Amino acid sequence: MADRGLYRVASVVTALAASCLLLFLTAPVAELVATAGLRGIAQLGHDVELRDALVLTAITASAATALGIAGGTPLAYLLARRAFRGRAAVAAALDLPILIPHPVAGIALLLALGRQSPVGAALLAVGVRITGSATGIICAMLFVAAPLYLSAAREAFARVDPRYEAVARTLGDPAWRAFRRVTLPLARRGLVAAAVVMWARAISEFGAIVILTYNPKVASVLSYDRFTSYGLGEALPVAAVLVILALIPLILLRALRHDRGPADL
Amino acid sequence: MIAAACLSAQAGSFRLTDVTFEVPDSGYGVVIGPAGAGKTTLLEAIGGIVPITSGALRLHGRDATRLPPDGRGVGLVYQHGYLFPHLSVEANVAYGATDVAFAREIGRRIGADDLWSRDVRSLSGGERQLVALARALARRPSVLLLDEPFSALDPRRRSSVRRELRALHREAGFTVLQVTHDFAEAGLLGDVAILLDGGRVLQAGPPEEVFRKPASPYIAEFLEAENVFAGVLTRADPATLDPDERRAPSVSYQTFEFRTSLGGLSMVAVGEAEPGPAHAVIRAEEVVLSSTATASSARNSYQGRIVELATTGALTRVTVDIGGTPLVAALTTRSARDLALAPGASVYASFKAMAVHLC
Repeated sequence: MADRGLYRVASVVTALAASCLLLFLTAPVAELVATAGLRGIAQLGHDVELRDALVLTAITASAATALGIAGGTPLAYLLARRAFRGRAAVAAALDLPILIPHPVAGIALLLALGRQSPVGAALLAVGVRITGSATGIICAMLFVAAPLYLSAAREAFARVDPRYEAVARTLGDPAWRAFRRVTLPLARRGLVAAAVVMWARAISEFGAIVILTYNPKVASVLSYDRFTSYGLGEALPVAAVLVILALIPLILLRALRHDRGPADL
Repeated sequence: MIAAACLSAQAGSFRLTDVTFEVPDSGYGVVIGPAGAGKTTLLEAIGGIVPITSGALRLHGRDATRLPPDGRGVGLVYQHGYLFPHLSVEANVAYGATDVAFAREIGRRIGADDLWSRDVRSLSGGERQLVALARALARRPSVLLLDEPFSALDPRRRSSVRRELRALHREAGFTVLQVTHDFAEAGLLGDVAILLDGGRVLQAGPPEEVFRKPASPYIAEFLEAENVFAGVLTRADPATLDPDERRAPSVSYQTFEFRTSLGGLSMVAVGEAEPGPAHAVIRAEEVVLSSTATASSARNSYQGRIVELATTGALTRVTVDIGGTPLVAALTTRSARDLALAPGASVYASFKAMAVHLC
């Protein structure tokens, strides 16, 4: 009897704690959209700087995601499938950018790619400027978001039983063709989800971008700029539009989860 | 032909060690062994999926040790089928085929053609096995590797697919290596039986020889030989051999007296062995039961009492207690009925000296 009472109290406390956290996580965002969502969307019609920032954000995030997919897919496959000396160390090193504070990531990038660095100077000599350019934004986004793609893509490949590929090999496929015809389609949903997560992380990045490239401004930098220059009233519509933009990958991810594909077997 | 010579391979922490056997051109080899023996790893090593670390593999006379899987001309059918779930049944069967019409024909012969329009994900285990078999055959492999390919089929379907596979095997002349847990299937299909355990070949040879003359008591027990006795061998007088036993297959064969450790049952045995501690194996089918003492050429004849009768379909196994030693005989259920065998009844059990395998 006492046990049942204790269980009931524990259930109520747990439910209360969960509700408080849910409210804490959703209420500020909901209030932001409710307060300034419509104003933000209306502002898109006449605020050229906001429009440009959103377009720049979408383009640079897409470019960073494309680069992440191009380089990350083979690397994720290698880490998921091949056993080699130092694999754990490589995997840990690739996770490091997720763990370090993003301004620190920006500083590290500035050190490696800034004008004073050998790489930055060499790139500048051939006309490629990293700091203060869209290229810099892409570099910052790639640095902080690609590890998320790698991690999720690695999981997606690991979920595909290697024996599918083995069968394809005995049916006459060389390694590359077996990958293209069997492994890639079976890992497709996981890879698309990984790319969406990377894109979402890229559009929300601020810390590393602001160190490497303050101008031209992406949406996150613009909202910060409006806040520090004009106060909360001016920053609100920009922030609200950014939240609405962030909903796109969220909806995409949900849609992917509902699309029960072959990988669910 | 599949010829493995001192072949070793590593799959994770499991190691296949010094595997040597040969399946002749257009032959049918069966691999048997307990779970975890390395049977699937052996097929994967031959198929090029698991790398060979040492030794040599020849497929139809060609050195295949370092060839990639797509260059070996092998077809591999896993127990679970591994059908590509993003493709239709038809696309699965035609996946590696160069001739789509031939793929369809194979599908029809194996009995997978009525599954053509089905979603791969809706197939049962047995249907998956059918499609996987058709897919491997549609590529016209020169070597077919089968990992328990009939395990999920119902007995009627299993029998018809086995028959069709044998017909295709005869027509196309490919070499087969099949993993099975079914000893009847091994005896029925195989030209060569390979007994594997702990990643090593314990015994390889014609199934008749492997089943009748297991190389060790462990193998005998694994192969479900009912009568495996530990005991002591002593030389017997060759003059006591009967005419059958004088036609022994080798001059090196000698006559022994074997006494079981448990029960002290004494029997005459003919074989190649050294006096001393040994094991005697007698297949239950070699033991003849009769209700009266009859004159026969069998050197070993005993009176005993029936302890147990176990009937499985057409076959009945009878356990007879002979002075404290249990001896199992297998006979048709009809014969058991005709002899009016029943627990507690007195019976005569006999077997030839040549039926005793010493190891």
